[in-house]
Amino acid sequence: MIELINVSKTYPNGIDVLFNVSLSIGKEEFVFMVGPSGAGKTTLLKMLYRDEVPSSGKVIVDKINVADLAPSQVPFLRRNMGVVFQDYKLLAKRTVFENVAFALRVTGAPRSTIRRKVMQVLELVGMLRRANAFPEELSGGEKQRACIARAIVNNPPILLADEPTGNLDPTTSWDIIQLLEKINKRNTTVMVATHNKSIVDDMKRRVVAIENGRIVRDQLLGGYSR
Amino acid sequence: MLSNIEFFLIEAFRSVRRGALMSFVAVGTITVSLVIFGFFVLLVINLGNIVGSVSNKIDIAAYVEKDLSLEAAGALQLRLSKIPGVDKVSFISRTEAWKNFKEEFGDKLELDSVIAENPLPHTFNVRVKAPEFLPRVAKEIAGAGGIDEVRYSGQLIDQVRSLVDAVRIGGAALVVLISFATLLIVVNTIRLTVLARETDIYIMKLVGATNNFVKWPFIIEGVILGMLGGICSFLILKFAYDAIYTRISVALPFVPMVGDKMMLGVIYMVMVLGGLGVGMIGAYISVSKILKAEE
Repeated sequence: MIELINVSKTYPNGIDVLFNVSLSIGKEEFVFMVGPSGAGKTTLLKMLYRDEVPSSGKVIVDKINVADLAPSQVPFLRRNMGVVFQDYKLLAKRTVFENVAFALRVTGAPRSTIRRKVMQVLELVGMLRRANAFPEELSGGEKQRACIARAIVNNPPILLADEPTGNLDPTTSWDIIQLLEKINKRNTTVMVATHNKSIVDDMKRRVVAIENGRIVRDQLLGGYSR
Repeated sequence: MLSNIEFFLIEAFRSVRRGALMSFVAVGTITVSLVIFGFFVLLVINLGNIVGSVSNKIDIAAYVEKDLSLEAAGALQLRLSKIPGVDKVSFISRTEAWKNFKEEFGDKLELDSVIAENPLPHTFNVRVKAPEFLPRVAKEIAGAGGIDEVRYSGQLIDQVRSLVDAVRIGGAALVVLISFATLLIVVNTIRLTVLARETDIYIMKLVGATNNFVKWPFIIEGVILGMLGGICSFLILKFAYDAIYTRISVALPFVPMVGDKMMLGVIYMVMVLGGLGVGMIGAYISVSKILKAEE
């Protein structure tokens, strides 16, 4: 599903973030990506949804080398991939419903389909009663649920989450991770970058550890540290 | 596609409404700059009109030779009116001229006791189509035969002509300058409304929106804001101008203000369409720039 082959990334200011990273993630896997801040986790995820391009190497998503994609094709890549952000990235002047609906609107889906699917997905993430609230009226956990709803409303085969629990308290963090697991069980490949040691340790999933731009460990049923 | 157009319109109007303060500031700024623009256009046009009307009132006085018969004078009038650049030739008989003169000065001078006989000749009053024709036309009249003397105020002509030129050139330069300033202000105002939502644009792209999908609501919003500014400035200026026009035509009837409905209509239309067009272009440029930077 996702394959990185000898990927390196140097930012224009000369800072090296990733060195020769190779990684393969199969269909419907659930993978934690762990490591200290600045290790390169976010950059790696950004390459998958083409917010960054590698300096060298191949980034293959669903058999397509994303690094070679023309800018006009990028939107279509992103519609096949849900992304959950630590800072939620909700549109401030739109309600929860409108935020989620936006991801469907861009695909040109008819209004009735949009309504039905948004309601379904809001129900799934437990946000149905907050559909008409604006982001500023939501708690952190609610914002993250809205963000997840938007990410999965297109039924993408892949869900990427960058520090989804970074701004949340432990209980809420657990709720969010369990939600991600639920989505994984609906045949979605899920990749979560996180600092959250207790969650990674308790979940016992595949763990990819990155340090200083290199993969230092790739372990099935792993914990946060060795 | 149709549902997209509907969506873009809804988005644009919603964005104007939800960003009410920003929209209000933008429309206000556009209104003020368009009112200033329209004010100067009207000022320049009216100055040109006033100066032009003064220059059109300068006539050539052609005094007819004393012994020329009335029939010959009639033929001469026909010849004079055929000189290129001549607008109108009117004949003032010596009797009429003497009567006019006495009416104007008679009570002060008691002319009849001093002068027994009418000393004035028949006169042709020649009006030219434009002040720059005066010297040539005067020369041709003098050479037409049967004319004793030709008079016009050469100095006044030169002054009026240089004033006309100054108003025309200065006015055109002023309007160009003001247009440019208005353009910059409107484009930048719209640009601010777009820049305030740079993050939104980034998010829209992350969720899989194509560039066109992001652009259209912003362009429509630019059109709405620009048009609202145009309409507000049109209303303000129309009210103000109509009020001034009425006052001046009562208080200073000799000042010829431009009241041509057609011409004023064109100016007002330029303001509304200008606001609309510049709003649209401003939005297009700003969104394209942000989208380009994010690629």
